[in-house]
Parts: sequence; C-alpha cells; structure tokens
Amino acid sequence: MLLVTCPICGAEGDETDFHFGGQAHIARPATTNPEGITDAQQREYLFTRINPKGLHFERARCDRGCGKWFHIARDTMTMEIKAYYGVTELPPPDIIAQAKGGWAELFAERTAHAKKTK
Amino acid sequence: MTLTEGASVLEAVFESALAHRAEPTNTYVSLHEISMRGMIDLRGLNTDKKFMAAAKQVLGIDLPKAPRTSETFGDVKALWLSPDQWMILCARDKAPALTAQLTEALAGIHSLAVDVSDMRAIIRVEGEGAREVMMKGSSLDFTDDDFKPGYVRRIRFAEIAALFNIVEDNVIDLYVFRSYAHYTMDFLTKAARKGSEVAALRK
Ligand SMILES: [Zn+2]
Repeated sequence: MLLVTCPICGAEGDETDFHFGGQAHIARPATTNPEGITDAQQREYLFTRINPKGLHFERARCDRGCGKWFHIARDTMTMEIKAYYGVTELPPPDIIAQAKGGWAELFAERTAHAKKTK
Repeated sequence: MTLTEGASVLEAVFESALAHRAEPTNTYVSLHEISMRGMIDLRGLNTDKKFMAAAKQVLGIDLPKAPRTSETFGDVKALWLSPDQWMILCARDKAPALTAQLTEALAGIHSLAVDVSDMRAIIRVEGEGAREVMMKGSSLDFTDDDFKPGYVRRIRFAEIAALFNIVEDNVIDLYVFRSYAHYTMDFLTKAARKGSEVAALRK
C-alpha cells in the first residue's frame, strides 16, 4: 500500500484516499497549435507514456481532504515517495537531477523553455 | 422577495434530515442531530488581500489560513477546508442575510459565497468515548495531540465523504452530505453500542 501525505492540507492516507491522475507533465499539443498538429503528435499525447523502472512523476488529487491536485515523485521499484510539489510546478532541482531517460529529456526541454520565457 | 420573507419561507419548508428519527438509546456516547445551523460555502484566494479584508469586514474574523483550523467570532465560525475554501457557520435563519452581505462585500473580487445550509446534515458525537467512536469509522488517530478543540478536517468516515470539527474535548461535530444522514446515524449507533467500548483506548 502506498501511504500518501497531501502537501497542501496534510491529510495522510493510503492511495485510495487520493485520486490517481496518471503521468505528470503531459502537455496537450493542440492547446497551442490546434491546426498544425500531426497525427503522430496527437498519438504521442494520447497514448505514449513514460514507464520507467525507478523515479517516476505522477499526479494525485486529495479526494477526502482539501480537494487539490498535486504532484508526486515516486520510485516505481521501492514505492518510495521522493517528493511532493505543486500541480503547476516542476520537481525540485535535486529530484530533476536524478531523473533518467524520457524524464531527463522532458525536464531538460521544460527547464530550457522556462529560462527562455523568463 | 425580501430577506425577512425568505426566512419565514425557510422556516415553513425546512425539515432536517433526521427530523422524524428518535435519538438512539443504548449508546455510550450521545448522538444527536444539529439541525438549525446555517452553512455558507465561501471561496476565494487566501493570498488575495482584498478578499480576506472583505470577508473579515462581514464576518468579523480573519479567515484561518492554517490547514485544519477554525476561527470563531460570536456565533459565526469559519472552518478551513482548503487554501481557497471555507465553511462559514452561523444560525440557520441568519444564513441568507449573511450570504447576501458576503456577496455584496465581495463584488468585483474573484470569489463565491453560497448558502449551502441544506447540503449537509450534522451529527454531534458527545461524551467520554466520542473520539473512540470516531476512530471506529476512520483511519485517523483521534488521541493524537493535534486533535484539539478547533481542529477541522475532511475525511472518509465509514466509507463516505465527511467533515468533522472538534468543538470541545469530547464534543465532535460530524458533517455528512444530507442523503447520508441516516446511514451515518445507523453506523454511529452501532459503533457506539454499549458494551462495545474499546478498553485499550481508555486511560
Ligand atoms: Zn489535501
């Protein structure tokens, strides 16, 4: 059983007290460019998910507490929760540094983008 | 329709969820419905100074910002539900007027005030074993030091969505959606049946 503590209201419970929101940080391409979306991009958005052995990033909602969405960084092997962070935020830098594979690529892209738009 | 007329209409049609139900006997805590309490759902950002000031001007209290806390001023009480949501408690007949006052004071501010007095039923669990009975329906440790008077929390109680407020040491108000009132009373009546006290929890 996964024991979760809500970073907003502090409610603690098992995963059934929370609503699992699937993989985190999925950007919907059609939001910014509905006309220019290719089938491949849309397929990527709808179906392709990162499925790592190790550090993973997910969304959850505090169903029985404050009702807010938040992010969880979890190790899929040990089930250890490494960090909680806001639903509009990227993971803390020390956690991003540990990300591998698809996640490392995604965060590199997002942090570069964030710097550019600053 | 003026507010005074509104209040009399309310009196005429309102019937509490457990109105026709006899209070349970043979329980080791007292269980009774609190029916004449008004409840207002108030939403706005706790970081918005204008919102916080307007709420204070009407309610007389600073809306609590700390999770799981409440504030009281006279017969008005604000329960923290999330960083942008509070439940305002007042006398039931005052709820429509207080909602109107809030709406007026909050005009132009990103916010919402709705009279939801009919949305929930309130059951007061009172007596020596109140915490113990609450523990039978939830995964929380009500003997923990955090669980002081004033404490507020939304939980899953007996598998349904609920909200509780510790009013005094052995007085806990349990809020459930109205359609669950009988179910909750049934559950509590069973959980608090005399003879089912939990010795391990007794000091
Ligand atoms: Zn929460």
